[in-house]
Amino acid sequence: MSVQADAVGGLDAGQRATLTAVAAHLIPEAHGMPSAGDIIGDKRLRFVLEARPDLLEPLRAALRAGLPDDPGARLAALERDEPDVQGALLLVIVGAYYTDKVVRERLRYPGQEAKVLQSWKYPVYLEEGLLDSVLAHGAIWRDPSTGRTAVEERSPLATPTERGA
Amino acid sequence: MATEPTDVLIVGAGASGGVVARRLAEAGFRVVCLEQGDWHDKAEYRGPELDWELTMRKQWSTSPNVRGLPQDYPIDETDAEISPLMYSAVGGSMLIFAGAWPRMLPSDFRVRSLDGIADDWPLDYQELRPYYERTDREFGVSGMGGDPAYPAGGEDPPLPPLPIGAGGLKVARAHVHLGWHWWPEPNSILSVPYDGRRPCVQRGTCQQGCNEGAKASTDLTHWPKAVAAGARLVTGARVRRLETNKAGLVTGATWLDREGLEHFEPARVVVLAANAIGTPRLLLLSASPAHPDGLANSSGLVGRRLMMHPFANVGGLFDEDLESWQGQFGCSIESFQFYETDERRGFLRGAKWGLAPTFGPINAALPSRAGTQVWGADHHLHVRSHLGRGANWGLFGEDLPDAANQVALSPTLTDSSGIPAPEVHYRVSENSRRLLDFHIEMATQSLKEAGAHTVEVDRLMRYSGWHLLGTARMGDDPKTSVLDRWNRAHDVPNLYVVDGSCFVTSAGVNPTSSIVSLALRAADHLVETRSSQRVPA
Repeated sequence: MSVQADAVGGLDAGQRATLTAVAAHLIPEAHGMPSAGDIIGDKRLRFVLEARPDLLEPLRAALRAGLPDDPGARLAALERDEPDVQGALLLVIVGAYYTDKVVRERLRYPGQEAKVLQSWKYPVYLEEGLLDSVLAHGAIWRDPSTGRTAVEERSPLATPTERGA
Repeated sequence: MATEPTDVLIVGAGASGGVVARRLAEAGFRVVCLEQGDWHDKAEYRGPELDWELTMRKQWSTSPNVRGLPQDYPIDETDAEISPLMYSAVGGSMLIFAGAWPRMLPSDFRVRSLDGIADDWPLDYQELRPYYERTDREFGVSGMGGDPAYPAGGEDPPLPPLPIGAGGLKVARAHVHLGWHWWPEPNSILSVPYDGRRPCVQRGTCQQGCNEGAKASTDLTHWPKAVAAGARLVTGARVRRLETNKAGLVTGATWLDREGLEHFEPARVVVLAANAIGTPRLLLLSASPAHPDGLANSSGLVGRRLMMHPFANVGGLFDEDLESWQGQFGCSIESFQFYETDERRGFLRGAKWGLAPTFGPINAALPSRAGTQVWGADHHLHVRSHLGRGANWGLFGEDLPDAANQVALSPTLTDSSGIPAPEVHYRVSENSRRLLDFHIEMATQSLKEAGAHTVEVDRLMRYSGWHLLGTARMGDDPKTSVLDRWNRAHDVPNLYVVDGSCFVTSAGVNPTSSIVSLALRAADHLVETRSSQRVPA
């Protein structure tokens, strides 16, 4: 799936200014984080629309002339009359902002990382005996033959030494 | 066009279709499978990419209505409180499922006897247990044996458990303090290398496809083996209807290819594995003068008793950074503390809880499933309080069968081939609402005990119809069931249904482990009775 090379440019200057104003209204500079109005340039907008070309049409609708100029009033009107269009506008802004490198660094969010599972490590919950406590309460399943909680003998979990840890 | 009937024609290459195809092909049956979707390459999945939280809302949505891909069929869900979710591909909905792999409990097979409602199954837990153990090995299940929520004995999961993460550890400690059950969740996700597949890397994007192939799906675990044993898998094949002869036997399937050309695949036996929406749709589409109400429908129950597990999400927010965007999704831990019926609670049956990771920053920023949204300067505080600092209990409540909850054929909506689409009628019962209210209250107590400063609740999620069950139930009486105890249609002796349609009751657990175990049992029966199986002349 790809979007037309001029898709970002398909928004006129007025629509781009409106997008910047709405983005800054929703996510202003504060608490050490930059304003979405400053972050969302052509690169970020193109990124979102390449990933989600279906958002372009509702984005244009959200930024069209004829809606209130004030960002808050525009958002309120969209939420009331065109919630799907408002949802698309929010997703474009949030998607563009939180895929920005600076924003992610300030959030200390590195993305969804691939980590090596340390399956040889003995789990902390076993070291702490957290399952032994569960086992101490006995079986909790309902025995259909009696209709009551089952009564059965169980072996305790192996100790770390027995497990070779 | 095929002329020589194949031994077994399977419709659908997902979880149950893959299991049956492999078993039968390895037993020497000539197997053909028609699948409307395609193969996917692991490299297509977006988990490692920046756009994963964008594409999960469209191209990789779990809803066919949201995706709108050519291989999807639309579902009219205007009269449904929960949206059915699925994926059409080799591997089926396993491509986008979480991988949680609990079994049903003994009481789940005896709901009528124990609680006086719904129905008993024609088999019990002990009869299904060997199949659970076999499918655990086939799919590669990671977990910890000895869970006191289940009968003692039998095989432990073949692989060691996956990590429970920082959030799981906090909640586990809380449950010990409360004296409540918890256990590491069994997942069909590899904790160590197994059967030529790589282990989990804890990326947390299981429901958008597993890039490592660590999460089980039959395109990885079964279809390569089935094809190697001689099975023929046809993709892009949309089945329009099943055909029958004067003797009342099914003779094969009429299907359309990607270009819309019609074909007929003759078969001695037909196995439907198209999920509990697609299977009744196909049976109803196969109506004929001899079967005016649809095929295998003398009971009138085809499409009825749809169960989808009303679902609530209870999320705790913690002061500490738990890095909760990582981890199997899948679940880390589970609890069956309140699973069994206690009539003092004001409802019957119960729910299994599974603790899941949270998502990334886009999910943290957008209006939450619980309706929370914060904009303006405090938006940054809101995102920081949610991103990586959450632990979510997912509550699957047992959904009792109701004949009014059903799949029918839409008189107006069609798929891209012009075939009538299914329409779903589904209401959440009063018992389910009371059940969820109670479990939400208990899950909130769990998270607060674990130290959560805030608990957010999504009481009844609309997009939670992952578990599609019950629309061609099994049973011993042809008047009150569609299938016999071996998943064979009472009315059509060479027609089997092996997907979640066969469920008598829904239990309160993720069903895939049970679906594939029942499918393997049905396949074993086909192998054992092959010499006496009635087939078209």
